[in-house]
Amino acid sequence: MKYAAPTTVDEARSLLADNPGSRVFAGATDLIPQMRSGRPEPAVLVDLKRIDQLMAVSHGEGKWTIGAATPTADLTRNGAFSGMFPGISEGAGLIGSDQIQNRSSLGGNLCNGSPAADSVPALIAADARAVIASSDGTRTVAVAEVVTGPGQTSLADDEFIVEFEIDDAPANTGDAYLRMIPRTEMDIAVVGAAVRLTMDGDTVTDASVVLGAVAPTAVRVPDAEAALVGSRLDDDTLAAVSAAASAACNPIDDKRGTIEYRTQVAGVLAKRAAVIAADRAQNGA
Amino acid sequence: MSIGQSPVRQDAAPKADGSIQYAGDAVPDNALHAVIVFSGRPHARMVSMSTDAARAIAGVVDVITAADVPVNEYGLTMLDQPALVGVDHTGVAAVDGAISRWEADQIAVVIGESRAAAGAGAAALDVDWEDLPILGTIDDALAPDAPLLHPENGLPTNAYHPLKIRRGDLEAGWADAEVVIEGTYTVPHQEHAYLQPEAGTAYIDDEGRVTIEGGGQWTTEDREQVAHVLGLPDERVRIVYKAIGGAFGGKEDMSIQIALGLAAMRLAERGERRPIHCRWSREESIVGHHKRHRGRIHLRLGATNEGIITALEADVTLDAGAYNYTSNKVLGNAHLTVSGAYRVPNARIDSRAVYTTTVPGGAFRGFGGPQGAFAIETTMNKLAAALDIDPVKLRLLNAVVDGDEGITQAVLPEGVTAVEVITACAGRAAFNEPMADVEPFAPIATLPPEPTVTRRGRGFATSLKNVGFSFGFPERCEAEIHLHGDGDEPTSADLFHGGAEVGQGNHLAMRQMTAEVTGVTLDRIRGHFSDTATSGDPGSASASRLTFMSGNSILGAAEEAEKAWRDGQRPAIGRFRYTPPPTESLDEETGEGQPNFCYGYMAQAVEVTVDTGTGHIRVDRVTSTHDVGRAINPRMLRGQVEGAVVQAHGYVLSEDLQVSDGFITNPRLSAYLIPGIGDIPTEVDSQILELADPLGPFGARGVAEMPFITYAPAVIAAVHDATGVWFDEFPLTPSRVVAGLRNAGI
Ligand SMILES: Cc1cc2nc3c(=O)[nH]c(=O)nc-3n(C[C@H](O)[C@H](O)[C@H](O)COP(=O)(O)OP(=O)(O)OC[C@H]3O[C@@H](n4cnc5c(N)ncnc54)[C@H](O)[C@@H]3O)c2cc1C
Repeated sequence: MKYAAPTTVDEARSLLADNPGSRVFAGATDLIPQMRSGRPEPAVLVDLKRIDQLMAVSHGEGKWTIGAATPTADLTRNGAFSGMFPGISEGAGLIGSDQIQNRSSLGGNLCNGSPAADSVPALIAADARAVIASSDGTRTVAVAEVVTGPGQTSLADDEFIVEFEIDDAPANTGDAYLRMIPRTEMDIAVVGAAVRLTMDGDTVTDASVVLGAVAPTAVRVPDAEAALVGSRLDDDTLAAVSAAASAACNPIDDKRGTIEYRTQVAGVLAKRAAVIAADRAQNGA
Repeated sequence: MSIGQSPVRQDAAPKADGSIQYAGDAVPDNALHAVIVFSGRPHARMVSMSTDAARAIAGVVDVITAADVPVNEYGLTMLDQPALVGVDHTGVAAVDGAISRWEADQIAVVIGESRAAAGAGAAALDVDWEDLPILGTIDDALAPDAPLLHPENGLPTNAYHPLKIRRGDLEAGWADAEVVIEGTYTVPHQEHAYLQPEAGTAYIDDEGRVTIEGGGQWTTEDREQVAHVLGLPDERVRIVYKAIGGAFGGKEDMSIQIALGLAAMRLAERGERRPIHCRWSREESIVGHHKRHRGRIHLRLGATNEGIITALEADVTLDAGAYNYTSNKVLGNAHLTVSGAYRVPNARIDSRAVYTTTVPGGAFRGFGGPQGAFAIETTMNKLAAALDIDPVKLRLLNAVVDGDEGITQAVLPEGVTAVEVITACAGRAAFNEPMADVEPFAPIATLPPEPTVTRRGRGFATSLKNVGFSFGFPERCEAEIHLHGDGDEPTSADLFHGGAEVGQGNHLAMRQMTAEVTGVTLDRIRGHFSDTATSGDPGSASASRLTFMSGNSILGAAEEAEKAWRDGQRPAIGRFRYTPPPTESLDEETGEGQPNFCYGYMAQAVEVTVDTGTGHIRVDRVTSTHDVGRAINPRMLRGQVEGAVVQAHGYVLSEDLQVSDGFITNPRLSAYLIPGIGDIPTEVDSQILELADPLGPFGARGVAEMPFITYAPAVIAAVHDATGVWFDEFPLTPSRVVAGLRNAGI
């Protein structure tokens, strides 16, 4: 196994093109445990953290650009970003612990392909895009299109994510992410729920509801979104959101949570996240 | 005055800065490395094993198999376990050594120049097995066609060590009963999860002894077990404890010691005298050592409308797993505690252990007490609810007092303080007043409080726990003290003691007690601990006994040393072997007998908040009340109470060992969830009573297990108080709680 640390995106492109079977990484907080537990070693390990563009967070032209290898701690500590996207910041701020967040990246969290990845639902709810590079060039796709199943992505072998783009949230918009784990810290989501709402006074004008850990990939819940838009978040609406969220679940049964539990609690969290998102939309984070 | 103070522990700074030597740190530079190979078969007969391929691997030094074992049987209380499972064994054993009865039966020790080489050798072993039926549960093992796992014990079933209680006139008791509470309780396994997994180093010392440095709970007992398998007299084996990173009963039985001893002995015979180090990974530790017993308890309790107990019937079954370990003793203790600290005039109790092809059950803080207490205390709380009587009052109505007979029809050892403890706990917890407000419930960092669906409740439980070994075991503890000085009074002292410092602080407590009785200041008391070459038989660091027993041994040794001092001997040497009043095994038919010489009494009041949406439970406040007789070191005592509560918190709420078809499927701390700092109770109030025990040193009793025992039933009662739902099975994982609440329409 070889280790390479390119300093430019182009250098990384050619490394990957020239060395089939290589693997990019950022914080390696998923990669190293996986290799230790016996996953085959790649031919070349390509460290993305020396490429400035992948380590930068910037704001301009109506959008945020976040380097794919940036430690998530840089996002959660960024007051302007967290002010605009408290839900994304919450998700990123739940990954592991402080130590893990000094390493873990959005690119790694997404491309690891875990249905329970904590930063992903709120990114999808914000319609975030991934800018993907390979020797053939660069393409931009919705974050929702990247993961195709547990541990699987739509990226070709020689492709990697350079950065994420998130358009500025419209006025009177708030997002929230809630995660259920059996204990308070250092555990894998049993259910994750991200909700983003845009409000006009008391009325919801736009809604995104995305669940994590209850299906092979993060899932949008169009029925919940439809119930929210036009509503004033009355009890009936929240009950409909809850029912729609539960209906969207197709979870696994494991030690952390039974199918029944995950299904029920997805409804509970979606409802609670909606209330928080509405409050943020109306009153700020 | 040294006792009653809380001086800083001598091991505090080196533990904090990392300089202390745990067994896993103390690896000599020239050490060889041993990997112990598990069978990986819950139930199978070995047909053949070839070590040729393993031996051919570069860096593999040797492979120890059953053919190298002089006496292929061991066990702390029954010799029912082969040291190494194998085809070519010595035959000096009653148990069939060719059969693997759980996934972690040891089949070989591969010694390599490095851990990697030994690991490669282990992977290259070529073993053929004939699989046998897996008896994965108590019910599987009790099925009429189940094969016998231990035919050598001569019993017709996998159930063994039956215990009975027949007391009073049961029919009359039921006739007097105006209310009957009946239930079946299921109790789970628990993993010890000590910080430091098993580790040790073996070598032949200067005097030719097979020496094992590592961790454990009872030096001389470890020595006896190793010596038995090695076919050596005890004196040819030496056990030395390094710093021990927790034990909780999990290091009371053998894990790596016998394998290491065999390796050191055989390699030395073959001219290889380098030390041999072995260290288990967390996974090996969880798979490879015993657990708190899972089991099933059926309990039926009758009482008058005033709440006076008239009759009790109980049926206790514990899953012993593949080998006995201490199951017979743990069962005995569950058998005693399932009737609580109450006057029960008429009773019938039947208990037994059952062999299965799963991880053995064994010693774990509380030693059968938590299982028994869960059943009786939950039943008492249901009785209180059924009669609409305050649960504290119900207990005071029935609690034993000095002069009462216990359930075994012998008068309880003097110093029964159940009433005092219950009363003090209820008072401190203000149990008869409305609960104080708490901060809104934020069950986990990410979930903000949701006051509309949270409910609060409180619960109460009490019990008793024996201090010291029970049932006629020849209980003893030895100490040796040397007094030095040139003047009239000694100015320094050496204490030689085997007692294990497993993290609880016993070595400081022993030095404090030595200072107290010799008049030498604490800083001039040198401790020499836990080496069979220099210290006597301490008995185990278990059964909440070590302060009581070591204290009495120190009192005796100090008295002897004083005499020698007065006789002019310098240094003045005193040796003493303390033996408490003898205990008895129970009558086979009636259960009559005096099983114990001392008890500690405890009560707990617990307040919880339940999020009925997610099933999360927050324990807001715990009042943990203990009659310790005398607090030798109050700060360490509080550490024991808080530590036990946290460990019990995991037991009742989150720790969920999955055993399927004989295999533990979550042998990792990422999947077996012990509490984190954010999960533990918000407040633990340790209330310490000092009602002197007539036999205890300075009046001291024990405390280490007591705060564990009553926690589960107190939490379960509080959850019922909050939600109206009884849970007869735990851990109360969010999934189980939500399922229970939904079933009840919440
Ligand atoms: C103790 C601990 C606790 C954890 N807790 C959580 C938690 O609470 N929530 C949670 O969601 N996760 C958790 N994780 C998992 C992990 O930390 C996160 O998924 C993290 O975001 C991964 O980021 P990374 O940069 O370390 O990824 P890496 O390990 O570097 O990479 C992960 C995968 O993504 C690929 N990859 C990385 N960057 C790119 C890129 N730019 N383009 C294409 N592919 C890429 C890699 O090839 C690899 O397959 C935890 C991990 C540990 C060790």
